[in-house]
Amino acid sequence: MSARAGGLALLALFAALALLPLGVHRDDLLNFVLLVLLTITLAQSWNIVAGYAGQVNLGHAAFFGLGALTARTLWIGGAPIVLATFAGALVAATFAMLIGAAAFRLRGAYFAIGTLALGEILRTTVGNVLPEISTLPVASIAGYRLAHRYYLALALAALSVIAVALLARSRLGLGMQAIREDEDAAEASGVAALGLKLRALVLSTGLAGAAGGLFAYYQISYYPAHAFNPTWTFDALLVTFIGGVGTLHGPVLGAILYVFLKEYLTVRWVDFHLLIFGVLFIAIVLLFPGGLVQALIQAGNGARRRLGRRSGAPT
Amino acid sequence: MSALLEVEGLDAAYGDSRALSGVTLSVGPGEIVALLGPNGAGKSTLLGCIAGLVRPRAGTIRWDGRDLRAVSAHRIVEHGLAVVPEGRRLFGSMTVEDNLELGAFSPRARAGRRASFERVYALFPVLRTRRRQIVRALSGGQQQMVAVGRALMASPRLLMLDEPSLGIAPQLVSAILDALVEINRAGVAIFLVEQNVRAALTLAHRAYILEGGRIVGAGGGAELLRDPHVRRAYLGPLAAHE
Amino acid sequence: MLLIEQQIVLGLLLGGLYGLAAAGLSLVFGVLKVLDVAHGELIMLGGYGAFWLFALLHWDPFASLLVVIPISLLLGVVLYAVLFGFVVRADEETRVKNSLLVGFGLALALHALAVRLWTADDRSITTSYGGTVIAVGELSIPVIRLLSLAVAFALIVGLHLLLTRWRWGKAIRATAEDWQAALLTGIDVRRAYLLAFAIGTALAGAAGTLVTVGYSVSPSIGLEWTLKALIVVVLAGLGSMLGTFVAGLFLGVAEALSAAVFGGPYREVVGLVIFVVVLMLRPRGLFGAR
Repeated sequence: MSARAGGLALLALFAALALLPLGVHRDDLLNFVLLVLLTITLAQSWNIVAGYAGQVNLGHAAFFGLGALTARTLWIGGAPIVLATFAGALVAATFAMLIGAAAFRLRGAYFAIGTLALGEILRTTVGNVLPEISTLPVASIAGYRLAHRYYLALALAALSVIAVALLARSRLGLGMQAIREDEDAAEASGVAALGLKLRALVLSTGLAGAAGGLFAYYQISYYPAHAFNPTWTFDALLVTFIGGVGTLHGPVLGAILYVFLKEYLTVRWVDFHLLIFGVLFIAIVLLFPGGLVQALIQAGNGARRRLGRRSGAPT
Repeated sequence: MSALLEVEGLDAAYGDSRALSGVTLSVGPGEIVALLGPNGAGKSTLLGCIAGLVRPRAGTIRWDGRDLRAVSAHRIVEHGLAVVPEGRRLFGSMTVEDNLELGAFSPRARAGRRASFERVYALFPVLRTRRRQIVRALSGGQQQMVAVGRALMASPRLLMLDEPSLGIAPQLVSAILDALVEINRAGVAIFLVEQNVRAALTLAHRAYILEGGRIVGAGGGAELLRDPHVRRAYLGPLAAHE
Repeated sequence: MLLIEQQIVLGLLLGGLYGLAAAGLSLVFGVLKVLDVAHGELIMLGGYGAFWLFALLHWDPFASLLVVIPISLLLGVVLYAVLFGFVVRADEETRVKNSLLVGFGLALALHALAVRLWTADDRSITTSYGGTVIAVGELSIPVIRLLSLAVAFALIVGLHLLLTRWRWGKAIRATAEDWQAALLTGIDVRRAYLLAFAIGTALAGAAGTLVTVGYSVSPSIGLEWTLKALIVVVLAGLGSMLGTFVAGLFLGVAEALSAAVFGGPYREVVGLVIFVVVLMLRPRGLFGAR
């Protein structure tokens, strides 16, 4: 499957999704798709740092949470949701810039556990400072339109996919790939690793913050600390890896499968999807690092060179 | 005389570059054989292949007639081959005694370890005195003694050393080399990779020269010491005219 | 509101368990260079083992250690054979990364399994002597937790002896330092890995038992205890089991103090902050040149 065909497929998908609410009026279906779109955004944003800059960020939820917190506060205070979401993205990205330089001094697994710890610090603090549940004012609940949330979700998902698509081909993206393949060699040949990683982080966390804004817009009531829960990170991690980390379609495919399994299996066994995904994840890391995308490509007998990637998960 | 160790047509690579091409050599029982050559020639890679740490692309390695390539790395000691690696590679946080004891880890070596301890302490008396000391605290020369001792604990028939004189004070170098002569006199064959060419050739019965991954010369120790190419390349600008 | 001394004592008692939890992780990390982030889940499983032995067979939890430890050892063997044995085939940097991911998947699966089998409820063991306290001045020390601390310490000492006196214990340490040199001296490095991983898992199982009897167990304690163990390991560095135990005590006391000074909810934060700070001081990780 050529890149163009893949791109057209995505375009067709998003076009179809844009038209969906006009034809379908079932809330449960729209909710499902919305969840998929939110997951796509979250996963693609995580994919930027993991797949292209090669670092596993386990504190992703912190940025999602910050975006949600900011957007919720502003929106309930009267700001239009798009502005509030944008502000959420900004706050998240700013926080990333503050901690980024220090965080990137850590390599590999240490970056991962360090960001996890940071995320947990934020979550605990927010949980202590804002322990009460946040509920929309009655007027907002009365005027709640799922379709609005739906289109925001669609816009963000499309934005995240476009961002990754452009990134892969840009100078920033290629520089990041060089780092991912071999950071020391890249540095030696003049690629300023830290600057590139920071830009990747800012883009990634900005999108995550925007996704948080969507969540704040969508969810009628929730505990503010919930948006900082590491399960959001883990969801992004699972989806991206299973779909195919470092690819454009991976997070999309992974999100569809993930949300589908999650919603479908929840009926019988609450966390069953996690058992499946846990095992699937291990299989992918050890045996099939390219994820679903690789599986589909191989199944379709395509030998497509993925932008110079060698096999394997980010090193 | 059947050789103890026979290497034939060995090819090895590091990534895309060829480290060894068609290397053929042998070591007979009780011989001291030296391997000389410039840095990066592939000497350590060769030892790595024999020791089972590096997988060669092609060629055979025979020990006592049997295919050594089929033996996993940790079993090689059991067959009678012990290695003193470059830079010694001791277990720095452990004592001299522990390091030596680990040298006798394999079953055959373990059975004779008491005798082996005595042999090593007789060869290097200072190790007996310092046997409870943490190896990291010892001097370079003493550490080299521990490294050689550790390999000897395995009661090997062939002792392979990679640059034993590297980073050691000159007076201790001769002590090490004397020890090697004694070890050899007790019947242990020695395969020596050494940058100190003069010392190595004085010691060795035979030697090979490895350049760019290929064997470019071979001969008796004394013979190569007189060879003009060897003298020019390895013994300094004046030596060629001696 | 408890006396600050009382809080410190309780923190110390908990800290011993942190140390034990960390020891297993430290052993595995130091020897295999594998970061098993499912370690907390292994602790959780050990805890459930003790719980069910108590609930179904009325076994005293300290006695059930005699069963939980061997079974955890076996579990470690299985997990190594089936999973981590493959992770160690890569070079060190990839290994640490992959083990993080694999451990993550394993943790997820084990957590989901536990929820399915045993529900998400908290479980604890209440023995007949459970409520007994020893009064020392104005302090009251719960006997169970004191016993747990003693057991944890005994296990750490046992581990230390195992690593310094036992032939394979020395082989494990040698492998941790330089696996290639270990191969050259005849040590089967794969076997050393297997042993280290099994022992690490056994320690996790023991820690889980002690956690359940002194506190409680539920499927969610996994992540919490993995983080605690990580904090202690990063604090203590690798190499000394006794040092790891002390670092665990330190964390316990630090948490108690921070709860006393800043208030209960901030108890967790101090450990995480220490963690991040220490990580920043060692950006190259725990295997840096000594």
